[in-house]
Amino acid sequence: MPKPAQSGEGADLAAPLYARSGAAAYGLSAEQFAAILDEILRKHRSQTSAQSSAQSSAQSSAQTSAQSASQSSAEHDAAFCAGLRLEELALARACAAGNERAWQDFIGRYRQKLHSMAMHITRDAAHAAELADSLFADLYGVNVRDGVRNSKLMFYTGRGSLEGWLRTVMAQEFINRYRKQKRTVSLDEKTEEGVQFAAPVPEPAYASDQRLEAATDEALAELSSEDRFTLASYYLDGRTLAEIARTLGLHESSVSRRLDRLATGLRKRILAGLRMRGMSHAQAAEALETDVRDLRLSLRSRLTQDSAATTFPDSRKVPAQDTSDGSD
Amino acid sequence: MTEVPKIVYDRLRAAPPEQALPGQALPDEVAPRRAHPDADLLTAFAEQALTAAEREGVLAHLALCDDCREVVSLALPAGDLVPTPIAIETEAYRATTSRTPARRQPIFAWPSLRWAALAAAVVVAASVLMVRSGRWNHATLLSKAVPQVAATPTPNLSPSASSVNQQVSQSVTVAPTDEAKLMYELPSPSPKKLKAEKAQSLPLQGRSVMALAQSQNASGQTATVSAAGSAPAPLPNSSAMDAMAARAPGVGAPGIGRSSEAVEVTSEAVTVEAAPSSDGTLVAQNDALPIEKAKLAPQETGANALQTAESQKTALQKNPAAVGAASAAGRTRNVTSLATLTPAKTLAPAVTWVITAGVLQRSLDGGQSWQTTSHSDHPLLCYASYNADVWTGGQAGTLLHSVDGGITWEQVRPSIKAQALSSDITHIDLHGPTEIFVSTSNNEVWGSADAGKTWAKK
Repeated sequence: MPKPAQSGEGADLAAPLYARSGAAAYGLSAEQFAAILDEILRKHRSQTSAQSSAQSSAQSSAQTSAQSASQSSAEHDAAFCAGLRLEELALARACAAGNERAWQDFIGRYRQKLHSMAMHITRDAAHAAELADSLFADLYGVNVRDGVRNSKLMFYTGRGSLEGWLRTVMAQEFINRYRKQKRTVSLDEKTEEGVQFAAPVPEPAYASDQRLEAATDEALAELSSEDRFTLASYYLDGRTLAEIARTLGLHESSVSRRLDRLATGLRKRILAGLRMRGMSHAQAAEALETDVRDLRLSLRSRLTQDSAATTFPDSRKVPAQDTSDGSD
Repeated sequence: MTEVPKIVYDRLRAAPPEQALPGQALPDEVAPRRAHPDADLLTAFAEQALTAAEREGVLAHLALCDDCREVVSLALPAGDLVPTPIAIETEAYRATTSRTPARRQPIFAWPSLRWAALAAAVVVAASVLMVRSGRWNHATLLSKAVPQVAATPTPNLSPSASSVNQQVSQSVTVAPTDEAKLMYELPSPSPKKLKAEKAQSLPLQGRSVMALAQSQNASGQTATVSAAGSAPAPLPNSSAMDAMAARAPGVGAPGIGRSSEAVEVTSEAVTVEAAPSSDGTLVAQNDALPIEKAKLAPQETGANALQTAESQKTALQKNPAAVGAASAAGRTRNVTSLATLTPAKTLAPAVTWVITAGVLQRSLDGGQSWQTTSHSDHPLLCYASYNADVWTGGQAGTLLHSVDGGITWEQVRPSIKAQALSSDITHIDLHGPTEIFVSTSNNEVWGSADAGKTWAKK
C-alpha cells in the first residue's frame, strides 16, 4: 500500500540513520538511502496489512489491524527503521548498485561464509560449490535487465542479519533445486532407487470416519500458530528439540514441555470432540489408540524404506509430497 | 516424548492450503501453496527480529508449509551447534575453579575438596616462606636417592634460586598435590601411557623416579620410556599400559610411600615426566607446552598440608634435547628446586588431556576419571595446552580453543585471505598464550601470533 505522502517522512528519519549506516562510504547518497528506507517501510506496511487480512485468529488480527491503523505513526516507522541492520543494508544495496568498494567488502566478509553455508546445507562438496557459485552469481546480478544488473541483494531489507539472509536465500535455492531434481527423476531411476517399492502412504483406515477427522481438525484449529508450527516441526519434519528451540528463540526444555502439553491436550480435545459427535468414551479412545499403533508400524516401515532409497537427506518427504500431488 | 494420535499427523499434513496472498511472492517461488514469506522475513523470524504480528503471520505460514520450515531449519547458523558451552564439569573441577559460573552447583560441593583447597593454599603460603630453594644437582638426587630428595628443605640451596626460578617459571608451573606430592608432567597426548611408565619405573628403581615419557604424534604414537639413571625402560606395550594405567593411582602411592619412609615428616616424591622425542619436531611440540599439572586430591588432610608445608617443591629443569641424551645414557640432569609460587586461585587444576577416538577428554584427578569436554562435528586429532588455554584440532580444519581449561570452547576457523584451513589438523604447537602453530595433513604449517585471529602460512 504505497502512500506517496510518506516518502518525505522517510527522508526525515533517514538522515541520522544514513550517518549510522556508513552508506556514504559505499557511494550511496542520502537520497538513495532514504528511498531504500522508504521502500522497505512500504513493503513492511503492506506485509503487515496483508497478514492482518489473512489472519483468521481474532486476537492476532486485532493486533495487526491495530498496527495497520496506527501505521501512519511516525514513531513506529522510526523505531522500525532504527531496528534495521542499517550497515548491512547499506552494504547490500551498494553491492546491488555495483559499488566496487562495497563488493570488495562483501566478498571479504561473505565469500568464504557462502561456501561453508553451502556445505552445511548440502552436506556435499560438489553440490555445495555449485550452490554457492550460483548464489554468488545471483547476488552479483549476472543477468542484466534493461542495462541494470539484477542483483538479488536488492531484495535484502535489513530485517535480519545479512548473513542470515544469505543462508535463507541459499536454503530456498537448495529446496528449489531439490524439488526440481525430484520432479525430473525418471521412471527408471525411481525404480532403481526403489521408490516405487516404498510403503504406500498409509491409507487412513479411519478415513470413512468423518468424526475423527473433524474432531482432530477442530482440535488443531484451536492451536496457536506457534503450537502448530512446533507440532509440525517435531512430528512431521522430525526436527530436533534443539532446532525448534533455536528457531523459536526458546529453551529446549520449554519446547519439550510444550510438546508434551500439546500431545496430551490434543488427545483430550479429540476425545472430547469424538464424544460430542456421539462416540462413547471407549470407542473414542479405541479410535485414537488404534491409530497410534498403526502409525508406529507404518512409520517404521517407511523409515526402513527411506533409508534404503535415500538420495537426499530428507527423502522422508517423498511420500508426503506424492500425496499432495495426487490429491491435487 | 508423548506420542500424538496418528490422525493428528494426518490432519497436520493435510492442512488445507490457504489462499495465496498478494505482495509476498518470492521470485523463485517453490510451490504456490501459499505465498511464502520472503527470505527477509524468514531470516528475521529465525533471528527473533519480527514484530509480534509479523511473527504470527510467518508462523501461521510455517505451520502449514513444510518447504519454508525446511528453509528455516537449513538456514539455522551451523556454527552454533559446535562450540556450545559444555556444562559437564565435575564437581572436582568446580571446586578448584574460581571462575565457576553462577548457574553451576555450589562451589566446594565435595566436602573433602575444601580440605584440598585449604591444603593447596597452605602449601602455597608455606612455599613462599620456605622454599626459596636453590638448585639441585640431579647427580645428587640420583646417587643419594630418595632420602635426600625427601629430606629436603635445604636452606643452602638458595643462591641460585632466583635464576632458577626464572628459568623454571618460564616453562613450568607447579601446583601442590595430595600428600605433598609434586607431580610434574609435561602434557602429553597420552596421560595413560605416562601413568603406565610411572607405574613401571617406580618399582624398577625404588627411588624418586625420572620417568621420561616419550610423547608421540597424534596418531602413530611411538613411546619410549627412559627411567632416569638406568637403562631405558622397556617400551610398554599397549595392554601392559592399560593395565598399568588402571593401576596407576595405586602404584603411585607406594612410590610416594617409599620416599616418605626415609623422611617421615615429608612425604615427597618427585616425578618428572618430560616429553622429549626422538625427533626434533616432536620435541618442539611438547616441550613447547610446559604445563605442569598437579593434583589436588580430596583426601588431603590438614596434617598432610602441614607436611606439605615442609616439603619442598622440586622441579626438573631440563633442556629437552639434553634430556633425550641424558635419559638414554642415564646420566645426570639438573634438578632444580623450585619455588615458583602460584596463588591458589591461579593454580592449574590437575588437568590431563587425552584424545580417545576423536574425542578430547580431560581428567582432573590424574587419570582416574575422564570427562569429555569438547564436541565437534569432526574427530579430533591433536591438542595442546598452555595453562588454561587449550587448543584442539581435528579433521576438516576443525580447531577449537578454550581459554578456561575446557569449560567453554570456541571454534576457530583459520583462514588466510579468505582461504580457509580445511585439511586435517594433525598437530598443534603452542608457544605461549597467543602464539600457535598448527600442522596440517597436507604438510602445511599455519601460524598465528594473536591467538588465532590472524594466520599466516609458514
